[in-house]
Amino acid sequence: MAGFTQHNALKMSSREAFGCDIGQARRAVEQLRMEAGLDRIKVSKAATDLLQFCTEQAKSDPFLVGIPAATNPFKEKKPCAIL
Amino acid sequence: MATDGLHENETLATLKSEAESLKGKLEEERAKLHDVELHQVAERVEALGQFVMKTRRTLKGHGNKVLCMDWCKDKRRIVSSSQDGKVIVWDSFTTNKEHAVTMPCTWVMACAYAPSGCAIACGGLDNKCSVYPLTFDKNESMAAKKKSVAMHTNYLSACSFTNSDMQILTASGDGTCALWDVESGQLLQSFHGHGADVLCLDLAPSETGNTFVSGGCDKKSMVWDMRSGQCVQAFETHESDVNSVRYYPSGDAFASGSDDATVCF
Repeated sequence: MAGFTQHNALKMSSREAFGCDIGQARRAVEQLRMEAGLDRIKVSKAATDLLQFCTEQAKSDPFLVGIPAATNPFKEKKPCAIL
Repeated sequence: MATDGLHENETLATLKSEAESLKGKLEEERAKLHDVELHQVAERVEALGQFVMKTRRTLKGHGNKVLCMDWCKDKRRIVSSSQDGKVIVWDSFTTNKEHAVTMPCTWVMACAYAPSGCAIACGGLDNKCSVYPLTFDKNESMAAKKKSVAMHTNYLSACSFTNSDMQILTASGDGTCALWDVESGQLLQSFHGHGADVLCLDLAPSETGNTFVSGGCDKKSMVWDMRSGQCVQAFETHESDVNSVRYYPSGDAFASGSDDATVCF
C-alpha cells in the first residue's frame, strides 16, 4: 500500500504546476477550433471497418487459432529416450 | 498593474467561455455521428470462448516492482525495469539474464528495446531517457557506454523507439512528450498540450503513418502528429488518470485504461 501511495505522490506532485494563463487559454481555444473543423465519419462506418479488420485478422490470431506445439518455442520439449 | 490584471481577467473569461461553447459544439458534432453502438454492429459475431493461458516462464531477479517491459523484435529477448533501479535483459527461452544495468535512480518507469536489438532505452526518476548499447564484451561495462538522450524536467514515464534505432519518443511527468535524435541527443519535436503528467504513449502501427497517442493525469488521451507537433485530437472521456493507451492494429482506433477502472475504445 505504501508503494502505491508513493507512486501516486509522484504523479500528483506536478498538478499544481499547471495553472491557467492567457497563453494557455488562447492555445486551448485554437486547438478546439481546429478539432471542430475535422472531418468525421459515422460510428456505423467506423465500427463496420473495425469489425471487418478484426474478422480478417482472426484467421492468424494465435489466441484463436492456437500455436502448433512443434513451432512453440516456449513449450517444454519431451525428452527423447534412446532405446 | 491593477488595470493590467483586470484586462487579463476579462480576456481570460471570454476565452474560457469560447472554449466551453466550442466543447459543446464538438459534443454535438460527435453526437450527430453516433448513429449506432459498436456492440450492436458486432451482434452477429461469434462470442469468443475461454482462452487457456499457461505460464511458460517466470523471470526472477528483480528486487522490487517491475514497472515496465518490452519485447525485442527477435521475439525472444525481453528488457524489464524495476523500482529497485535495475534494468535487465532476459533470454525468455532459457530465462537467463543476458545483461543488467543499475540505474543511478530508483523507479525506472520506462524501458524499451531498440528495433535492431542492439540497444535498450530506459529512464525514470532521473528525468532522463538513456540509451545503452548492448555488448557481450566482458571487458566493456554497459554503464560506460551509456548515452543520455532525453532530458525532461520531471520523471520519465514512457519511452519508445520509432521505427529505427535513431529516434526515441518520450513521455514525462513534466506534462510533455518529446521526440529525440539518439545520436546527437537533440530535441526534434516537443508535444505540449497535456495539462498534467503524461503517463503513457503508443506509436501508431508503422503502415498507417506518423502519429502517436498519449494519456495523462489530466484525464485526456491525445493523438499527435509526430512531424508537426500538433495535437490532432483530444479525448476527454475518462474520469481519472489515463495510465495506458494502445493503438488498435489497424491504426484506426485506440484503447485507453484509466484509474477510473474503465477501458475505453
